[in-house]
Amino acid sequence: MKFLCIPCDEKMETQVDGIMPEEKKNLAMKFKCKKCGHSIAMLTNKFETEFVSKLGVQMGGTAAEATEAPMGVMAGALAEGKDELKKGAPTEEDIEWTEEAKQRIQKVPFFVRNMAKKTVLGFAKEKGITVIDAKLMDEVREKVGM
Amino acid sequence: MKTYEDLAGDGGSNIIEQVEALGEKLRSRLDRIKYKIALMSGKGGVGKSSLTANVAACLVDRGHSVGILDADLNGPSICHLLGVKNSQKLTIDDRGVQPGAGIHGIKLMSMDMLLSNPDSPVMWTEEADATAVWVSTMESTALRELVADTDWGDLDFLLIDMPPGSDRIDNIRSLIPELAGVVEITIPSLLSQHIVSKSIAKNNKMKVPIIGLIENMAGYTCPHCEKEGPLFEGENVETLAKQKNIPYLGKIPFDTRIGHKTDSGSLYYIDNKDSVTGKAINLVVEKVLKSIK
Repeated sequence: MKFLCIPCDEKMETQVDGIMPEEKKNLAMKFKCKKCGHSIAMLTNKFETEFVSKLGVQMGGTAAEATEAPMGVMAGALAEGKDELKKGAPTEEDIEWTEEAKQRIQKVPFFVRNMAKKTVLGFAKEKGITVIDAKLMDEVREKVGM
Repeated sequence: MKTYEDLAGDGGSNIIEQVEALGEKLRSRLDRIKYKIALMSGKGGVGKSSLTANVAACLVDRGHSVGILDADLNGPSICHLLGVKNSQKLTIDDRGVQPGAGIHGIKLMSMDMLLSNPDSPVMWTEEADATAVWVSTMESTALRELVADTDWGDLDFLLIDMPPGSDRIDNIRSLIPELAGVVEITIPSLLSQHIVSKSIAKNNKMKVPIIGLIENMAGYTCPHCEKEGPLFEGENVETLAKQKNIPYLGKIPFDTRIGHKTDSGSLYYIDNKDSVTGKAINLVVEKVLKSIK
């Protein structure tokens, strides 16, 4: 799927920053025209979101990222999966994720999970926060608005 | 206005690149496995999993390296049959998820290895409103990950223990196009033969190679005197094979010790190679090997 800015007749670029979707819910993806700067959002309902999620790919991700997390889709989707399976959440050396925060990030649809992690980590670093908890994630979501 | 083809790339989502990478990962696993064989039956309760495990043991005995993929996502039983406990930690490293080490050196991967408790069901969401489409899509993805993300290493055989029914073969065929073939399993009862005939017809239409038909639980063997007696009433399974124009691989009588071994986490074939049933399993394996080589 590609998006075209009609006035400029230019391809719109996927915006991979500033995403903090609600877990297992509707999702908005942002696209921006590099020429005129106009942005649009593609909105998907939770079923469409899950459907794309099952492909095992990440929006704006790389080939290496797609293959680096073994059983990554199941890790996020299996309701009663083993803990070892769910340890895919990356941790920056000096930033700690609380158990609740880890669980919440695992519930973000697979194909935008990395983007959401980057958004939260970026926010935490900017504020000098060393522990990411559920409250901080709510704060990020409110700020980002997506 | 520009068209889809006019726009270079995919708008920054990089999805095509990632899908191709996932395909390459799957291929790199499969290239290290010589033969992939699915054991299936349209009918449940015909002994597919038990037979798959015993066939695997027989292949190991013949010097082959063997893995089993438990494709029965909602009713997995291979872990139980091969003595891999749910409490065993899952090992994930750079190479992928390490397969379970089953008895007799058989490697395995099963949903049972991924679930937190022995009685945990396979559910893809804690919410009650998961749609059938959602679940079906998730199951296809799960199968892909079980095949592609398991570090099978070099194997001579990957046996795929299929769930009851014939719907899952579509997934397996698209994941493993070079499938050596499927082994169909039925018991002598007319009902089982009726349902298995549909599975055979579907595979024929889909041009999935059929290695042959096994008649399982073809009578029982007394563990004391090895006399055989009838177990199910039904028509000759060999006739069904002839009608469907597929090889008849032989009959395997039921031995009550199969059940005992299953429950004790051991395998019947390992300790009973020279029994009537053990010899029958060996003969079936012989025919399968002749057919695929």
